[in-house]
Amino acid sequence: MERTRAVPASLISVWALLALAGCAEVKPKDQALEPRTRIYVANESGNSVTVVDGTTFQVIGTVDARNHSTHDLAVTRDGKWLFATNLASGRLSVIDTDAMETVASIATGTRTHVVTLTNDNRHAWVCNIGENNISIIDTKTFRILGTIAVGKGPTGLAFSRDGQFAYVSNQGDKAVEVIETASHRIIKTIPVGTNPHFLILGPDGRIWGTNTGGTDIYVIDPATQDKVASLNVGPAPQQIAFGFKGLQGPNAYVTVGGLNKIVVVNADAKNLRILEQIDVGQRPNGAWANREGTRVYAVHEVSNDLRVIDTGTSQVIATVPVGRKPIRVVYHGG
Amino acid sequence: MNSIRHLGAALGAAALVLLLWGAPPASAQGTPVGTAQNAIGTLVVVRSDGIEDRLQGKGALPLYEGDVLRTEAATQALIQFRDGVQVALNEGTAFKILSRWEKARGITRIIRLSQGEVWVTTGEGLKQLEVETPVATAIVEGTEFNLKVQEDGQSVLTVIQGVVQFGTPFGTCPIRTGTISYGARGKRCTKPAETNVQPAIAWKQALTQ
Repeated sequence: MERTRAVPASLISVWALLALAGCAEVKPKDQALEPRTRIYVANESGNSVTVVDGTTFQVIGTVDARNHSTHDLAVTRDGKWLFATNLASGRLSVIDTDAMETVASIATGTRTHVVTLTNDNRHAWVCNIGENNISIIDTKTFRILGTIAVGKGPTGLAFSRDGQFAYVSNQGDKAVEVIETASHRIIKTIPVGTNPHFLILGPDGRIWGTNTGGTDIYVIDPATQDKVASLNVGPAPQQIAFGFKGLQGPNAYVTVGGLNKIVVVNADAKNLRILEQIDVGQRPNGAWANREGTRVYAVHEVSNDLRVIDTGTSQVIATVPVGRKPIRVVYHGG
Repeated sequence: MNSIRHLGAALGAAALVLLLWGAPPASAQGTPVGTAQNAIGTLVVVRSDGIEDRLQGKGALPLYEGDVLRTEAATQALIQFRDGVQVALNEGTAFKILSRWEKARGITRIIRLSQGEVWVTTGEGLKQLEVETPVATAIVEGTEFNLKVQEDGQSVLTVIQGVVQFGTPFGTCPIRTGTISYGARGKRCTKPAETNVQPAIAWKQALTQ
């Protein structure tokens, strides 16, 4: 009996070692040195989001969106919440990125297409193609607080740097509408071209867009609310990310679905020109860059993969299989 | 016997997983969420597949998630959700029945009111119900209220009993018994003002008698 009560010295040593090892793992210093970086990919035919480690490019999980046709993504500045539109369900999924699970499903409208967070992250604006409107969702309570009627087929959405204006591209109208965010009123409609789609705020403070039904990209200046530049890049341009090639840049990296290439354009609206073309997978669509602009992440609808491009060398440095028909990709840098 | 036991264990485990997972988002039609009980004139119910059903007079027409309910001129209707919430539709009203699912709170019933006027009473106990208009949302727990959407989208909330949180993208304010508030595009809801609530709900008397 006494032997069972006694704790062997060797066991105490093992416990001590384990305790020390455990302490070492949770040192705040180590966490600060290696912040969590993640790449999220929306798989439209997979109804899911693939989660990829942003450092190792290993898939670390797949989140069931609990809806159909997961299309677009937006991640909060703190990286804790990921919002995913679901085209067929007309719903927005809310994903807890720590738990890697869907924790809410919000009915927004028919053919929910893109989601963009306001600059303060308080609201998510969601375009509903089938209802020609934008739903405004409180990102804390997940309640829809109102809608804004827009033109035909809203498919792209971006906010100006100061948050005073929202830009929505309407495929059916071949135009971009400018919404004053203080009043939710449309103040201008800018003709842009055939089947305008994606919109993004550029590093120059201008709004960059693609005419996916055509062959060009265009630039809108919030100072004048006019289209100030455009450039042919190839058939079915999809999305734009911004990065640097060493000292050169910022450059716009445009996924061009009809060429199976990323076309690199110098991001100077006064002198748009193609710098180079990078071969990628089959039908590239979503594109995003890391914060430093040294990596561009592109997903491919047909080859079902994510490719990581080193902008310094324009080389694909990793190819990661993801879900079926990946459409959009976002990166969070910790 | 062993295989039957294994099958039973597997089914039990599957049931446990489903329970832990929580209720799935309610988006598909299948289980009725309520019934249309009375229509003065004709209530039109447009199903999510486009099929139209109608109710005239008293009845028990099942209602499903995704249904759009519509009353024309000189038509009023009364429906009841499974949890006891009653909604009356005044003439010229249209809304869609939706829901929001949250892992932490379960299902919240959503009425997306695009035009017209509704009277809502939640009955006994707290309910998870929200009425969305083009410019505002009424967040309801246990209460009775009237909500009207005007042609320009402006929404007029009159609270007969209880408290309704009235939210727009510009802020949310509590509206209490016997007060009225307006929600307009691009603005926070107005400060609640005292009002005589009876005229606001006189229109629904014939339905609820």
